[in-house]
Amino acid sequence: MSTEVTKNSSGPRGMARRTLTGLNPALESVLAGVVGLLIGALLMWIWGYDPWKAYMAMFRGAYGDSYGLASSAARGVPLILTALTFSICVRAGMFNIGAEGQLYMGALAAVTVGYFTLPSGLHVIAGIIFAMLAGAVWSLVPAILKLTRGVSEVISTIMFNWIARFLAFYMVAFILVDPARGEKTISIPMNARFPILVRGTDLSYSLFAAILFAIVIYFVLWHTTIGYEVRASGLNPAAARYGGIKSKRTMLLSFILGGLAAGLAGATVVMGNPPTYAVISGLPQLMNVGFDGMAVAMVGRNHPIGIIIAALFFGGLTAGGRVMQFYGSNPVPLEMVRIVMGAIVLAMSIPELFRMFPAIKRQGTKLCGLLRRLTHRASSEEGSA
Amino acid sequence: MSWNDILSLLRISLHAMVPITLTAVGEIIGETAGLFNIGLEGALLLSAFAGAIGAEFGGPLVGLLAGVVVGAGLGLLFSVINTYWKGTQMITGIGINLFAVGIVAFGLIKLGAPGFHDVPKVAELAKLQTPIGAVSPMIFVALIVPFIAYWFLKRTRAGLILKAVGEAPEAADVAGININLVRLLATTFGGALAGLGGAYMSVCWIGSVTKDISAGRGFIALATVVFSGLNPLLALLGGFIFGFFQSLATWIKTLPSKPIPWQFVEMLPYIVTLLVVSGVIGRVRFPRALGQPYKRE
Amino acid sequence: MTETEHVSSNDSALDYYLRAEGITKVYSNGTVALKEADLEIHRGEIIGLLGENGAGKTTLTKILSGLLPPTKGRVISPRGPVRFGSPREALDFGIGMVYQHFALVGTFTAAENVALSHEHPFSTVQLASTKERLERLMKESGLHVPLDVPVEKLAVGEQQRVEVLKVLSRDVDLLILDEPTSVLTPLEVDELFVLLRRLREAGKSIILITHKLKEVGSITDRVVVLRHGEMVGDLTTADATTEQLARLMVGKMIDTAARAVELTEEGLPHRESARVEEMKSGPIILHVENLTTHGNTGEIAVEDLSFDVHAGEIFGVAGVEGNGQTELVESLTGLRVPASGVATINGTNILGKDPREIYRLGVAHIPEDRWELGLVLPFTLAENAILGVQRWEEFRGPMSFLRWGKINQHVRELMERFDIQATGPGAPAKSLSGGNQQKLIVGRELAKNPDIIVAAQPTRGLDIGSAQYIRDLLVEMRNNDRAILLVSADLDEVLALSDRIAIMYEGRFMTIASPADLDRETIGLLMGGVTVKEGV
Repeated sequence: MSTEVTKNSSGPRGMARRTLTGLNPALESVLAGVVGLLIGALLMWIWGYDPWKAYMAMFRGAYGDSYGLASSAARGVPLILTALTFSICVRAGMFNIGAEGQLYMGALAAVTVGYFTLPSGLHVIAGIIFAMLAGAVWSLVPAILKLTRGVSEVISTIMFNWIARFLAFYMVAFILVDPARGEKTISIPMNARFPILVRGTDLSYSLFAAILFAIVIYFVLWHTTIGYEVRASGLNPAAARYGGIKSKRTMLLSFILGGLAAGLAGATVVMGNPPTYAVISGLPQLMNVGFDGMAVAMVGRNHPIGIIIAALFFGGLTAGGRVMQFYGSNPVPLEMVRIVMGAIVLAMSIPELFRMFPAIKRQGTKLCGLLRRLTHRASSEEGSA
Repeated sequence: MSWNDILSLLRISLHAMVPITLTAVGEIIGETAGLFNIGLEGALLLSAFAGAIGAEFGGPLVGLLAGVVVGAGLGLLFSVINTYWKGTQMITGIGINLFAVGIVAFGLIKLGAPGFHDVPKVAELAKLQTPIGAVSPMIFVALIVPFIAYWFLKRTRAGLILKAVGEAPEAADVAGININLVRLLATTFGGALAGLGGAYMSVCWIGSVTKDISAGRGFIALATVVFSGLNPLLALLGGFIFGFFQSLATWIKTLPSKPIPWQFVEMLPYIVTLLVVSGVIGRVRFPRALGQPYKRE
Repeated sequence: MTETEHVSSNDSALDYYLRAEGITKVYSNGTVALKEADLEIHRGEIIGLLGENGAGKTTLTKILSGLLPPTKGRVISPRGPVRFGSPREALDFGIGMVYQHFALVGTFTAAENVALSHEHPFSTVQLASTKERLERLMKESGLHVPLDVPVEKLAVGEQQRVEVLKVLSRDVDLLILDEPTSVLTPLEVDELFVLLRRLREAGKSIILITHKLKEVGSITDRVVVLRHGEMVGDLTTADATTEQLARLMVGKMIDTAARAVELTEEGLPHRESARVEEMKSGPIILHVENLTTHGNTGEIAVEDLSFDVHAGEIFGVAGVEGNGQTELVESLTGLRVPASGVATINGTNILGKDPREIYRLGVAHIPEDRWELGLVLPFTLAENAILGVQRWEEFRGPMSFLRWGKINQHVRELMERFDIQATGPGAPAKSLSGGNQQKLIVGRELAKNPDIIVAAQPTRGLDIGSAQYIRDLLVEMRNNDRAILLVSADLDEVLALSDRIAIMYEGRFMTIASPADLDRETIGLLMGGVTVKEGV
């Protein structure tokens, strides 16, 4: 470990420091990403595909042009939010696996708002609020079960996912159904939609909503007393109690915030998704967004900034995958993307991974030191290691 | 409701019980040793797929074996990452689930029909004729395994070792027990049982494999483990309860007048699990070291 | 400054059981725990391994018992060098260790715990035969424990007996005990010593790790002293004086500006002129009346306690750990709800309130477990400095935003005032040494400007310099008219610092008196639960 004597502080100056010295863990995430891609490449090769061509197609599709970038970002928007669901609760010491179900509820709520007539700006806001509340309620019940009966939130949130799934099937087929086209719900009116950000793509202003939410969460967790209390409870419940922190309150708050995030994710899918702006029977636009969000959370190290970057990456994988599956004479099916994602998460779960590549670690530490020097306004008080 | 209906209900319940019970018993062994494997869902899915392919090539027994091997392999992967490599159990489990979903979906495409694949009738395990009708022999396996597991945990020194490793690894370490090895064996074996349950689904019961054939059963098995308080006999009961509700759901769907929309009927097993788990917590005590990696200091 | 005095009690060079040569241990984080330690162990001998915290005693014995490998050096027997890859191999060789923190599976019974280290993996547990064997062993050794009760339900002394039985049942030649008496009453200590003498007669070797000078004198044949990882003394007990041993253990006495500490013959630091007349002069800050509290398993931990703590006094609570001290502190600091009784700070009730409210009433709490309670280790110094006071106005701005600027400044002041060595307010707390961590906690608590300081085991596990620093701080606080409730298992510390002392046994105060009025023997008896008639 480098032994520099620099002024470490928390707070505004420390803010920059926090995200940058987070580079070591960030490097771990990047490494995991590389490992995941390599595993995908290996599998592709075993099955007779050309990994190089496939990845080229994927990356070009994802980041090669403005259309691709917009596509990747659009895929990433709900991921930011479902990732936050998982991460906020992880920071509070809980495992909220329920983003999927809370997401469905949020989407349904957003559609329901479509039945009302409201002026333009208000309609969008109403949709957002309604969706967030729906997600929060769905998240609250497992939280209460945990508080009152000690039910493992892992199990209860998973059960609620499945209940939500079938409830959504029912609502889409019977209650919210579009009388003209039975395989989807009604489309929400123009007034209730997020305006498109980049013409010709499906990236809407929901991007800002998601990023804004992430930034708000950052400030809440690291710059407010209640956020401090949440993090303390998650890291050391006994010490938190000693510090007068009521863990029941922090736990409840984390679940509520998580539910709000997932609900908002549902809203972005419905209100920001041309051309249908509705929920389609079988929930194809929503399926697995919750679980993918967890992968994003882990790769983003449960930090809002990391999550935004990871979400863009995962969104890129999906967007690029869609291009990849049509490219060339022997195209790789889209499902490979999911395999890569799984491999990345598996790689993330091994902390020793980093230590297994000492050469990379050396480079990484040097890079950290360099960046630290670059950003440190007061020039070196003494050399770093 | 006729006598035939009741028998039919019983039969389906027993069949539905098998994957849950087997997976749950396997996880009980793993959790007794201290590892919490949330990746069971993926294991079930992948072994169902492997079982279908194996059966197609070599008959039902090969299919079951393929499932066992795949399940054990995933259990091995999980335990290696979380013992020797000091990983995080929750993340590994989620990773396995994602990975399995991807591979199965991908594999199904390669096999021809995206999302779906039939197991040829000839490759399915033959059913036995019993007083209550034609049942798969696997049901008997599922009935016996919990008793064997119970005996193993209570009456052998190996069971004592497992409990020590999960409850007080420091003490077990001092007693000369290889913590990592014990956990590895326990979870690999647990994975093998789950693999058996998964292969059973495609080879002996449903007769086909779909993208989401596991349908949350891995998680239901986890809930059953909680319900059972790490007692394999109670896991048998829990598996049967779930099986019963699933058969009830299927039966209601066949009624000419549909009193309840099928979506709500499908919800039923999960709601029941939730209720059972909510009602029962408090008297259950889990191994102290569950979910924590062991570092010798 | 190496004072190595070797007085070997055996003439023949080959007449030893085991010999450690040049043992060096360097941990992965760079700490040098042992430096070239040599030790020769003979049969039928009790060796006292003496040293302060961190001297290397536990490390040396962990190496001998196979739990850790040495970085350098070797262990040899008359038949050649030996190497233990695991505690089990050491056990097979004949070396068994009873750890300070017992290696027992709480939910198992004593018999099951013993069975764990025996027998072939797949046999059905022959608990009956294990129990028979244990009963025989219990008769032989004089140790008695209930065999069918889950070990976690046993008293600490009984648990230790299970540990000893476990090791004895493996027929060991060398028995190592790590601070065995720290959890025993004086009566239980005597019983243990009887057992040890019996084992010595039978030709076994025993290593007793301790930091208590008196024990060394009463039971050991030989004393080996470690200091900062080095062997600084190896004497026959008969030839050594407590002063000599103490000096070897601690090296140079640490001078503080206020006083020089000398060791008297009883091993107590010499007190300044007793402030007898000035005792009980300040107003009552903490008033406790008929306090009764239950412990974690439902039993009564604190029974009908009544006492007061005045401003300008240090009220010490002494006693063997596990007699309710922890529960008493928890009841007064909002971490446990008592069953009945009254406790007030400056007249305001504190029972049943949560910690934050109690802090507001002027209470500071230095917790007995700094890692578990006092700090959130992954947090930075700044984040830890506001633990408990995160909602106070100086740190919390509008809309609950934390004023990091103010907080960082506050931390820098703390670092300056209390000499906390760290790279800055943003350093993670886990990067600090134990002493600096404790100083951070103490500084944080004192910065609240409290009326009363509840200090539980404040110097436990600290190096001598930090421990002395904190003791001086407490005295300074007392001189500034604060009230201090000091709970400590370190009898010397309590006796040296307190103006009034209470001896706690099984939830009650056996007596409340001035330390000057109590002699060691009386204290020992009281700690062991024996009521002493007045005037005797």
